[in-house]
Amino acid sequence: MIALFRLLLVLLVLQTIAYVGLSLYSRSVRKGKLEAHWEKKDAMKGDKQAFVERGLQRYDQSFRRKLILGVYIVPWVAIVALIYIRNYM
Amino acid sequence: MGYVKWAIILIFWAFVGSVLHYALPHHDTVRIVNTYEERQELNDWTRIFWAVPDDQSATLINRDVQFIQAVRANGRPIVYRNEDTGWGWPFYFKFDTANLYTEAADKVSSKDNPEWVSVMHYGWRNEFLSIFPNAISVKAVDGPDYSPIPWFNILFLTAFFALVWAIYVRWRRFRQRRIDPMIEDVEDSLYAAGDAIEERRGRLRRWLDSWKSK
Repeated sequence: MIALFRLLLVLLVLQTIAYVGLSLYSRSVRKGKLEAHWEKKDAMKGDKQAFVERGLQRYDQSFRRKLILGVYIVPWVAIVALIYIRNYM
Repeated sequence: MGYVKWAIILIFWAFVGSVLHYALPHHDTVRIVNTYEERQELNDWTRIFWAVPDDQSATLINRDVQFIQAVRANGRPIVYRNEDTGWGWPFYFKFDTANLYTEAADKVSSKDNPEWVSVMHYGWRNEFLSIFPNAISVKAVDGPDYSPIPWFNILFLTAFFALVWAIYVRWRRFRQRRIDPMIEDVEDSLYAAGDAIEERRGRLRRWLDSWKSK
């Protein structure tokens, strides 16, 4: 049983690192896209900074951001599936 | 100096490749001859090629290990061990060692009435180090020339190298955009300082040289 907890702990740490890294990366990609969009469109008036900030706020509440939480779920689903396939089929 | 960098990169990827080759599953088409259990002394460095059962005490250096003896289609023997991988590495989550032992014993056959099976295993067989591949599952097949396509390995390696490539490309882009300009600035200022020192030295040197007979 203690080996299970060890696996749990290591996996949790790795998942948290992956989650934080992926969130930061995804946010910076979104920021880059917002800036590129602003510069491409001639019709954009007003402050670029404000536009990017609004866009980022909308992104923060979006479903896409919540999908990154899948980093916690997918490995455990895979482990359960593996255990079932390996031992009970 | 370039050779050193390439040597290190090569050694690193050779290590990654060997770890992958050890841990990824392979399939052998064999005829099972016998199963037995033997006490193993695991007190030297080759311990890393044997499993660490979840409930084994840390100081235990010998335990009973189950083995499955088999013969390949070309007549050469291969012996597998049969151990739990448990919750640890490699992540096969194999808990049904005793069941596999029973299945293997059930499939024992003789040379004149062979029953061919496909053994999925990982690990290496090395006679010098006395290490054995770990059998994961045993499946009955039609004949000795059963050779399945390793779908899982193909998918896994593709995904793995795609991930490595994706991270590498993004790291390079990040380096070009953020780190290189900063290093160039530092280099520029170092060069400027070097030039200033050179200038001062130049005057003294010229005065000293004027004393040498040319």
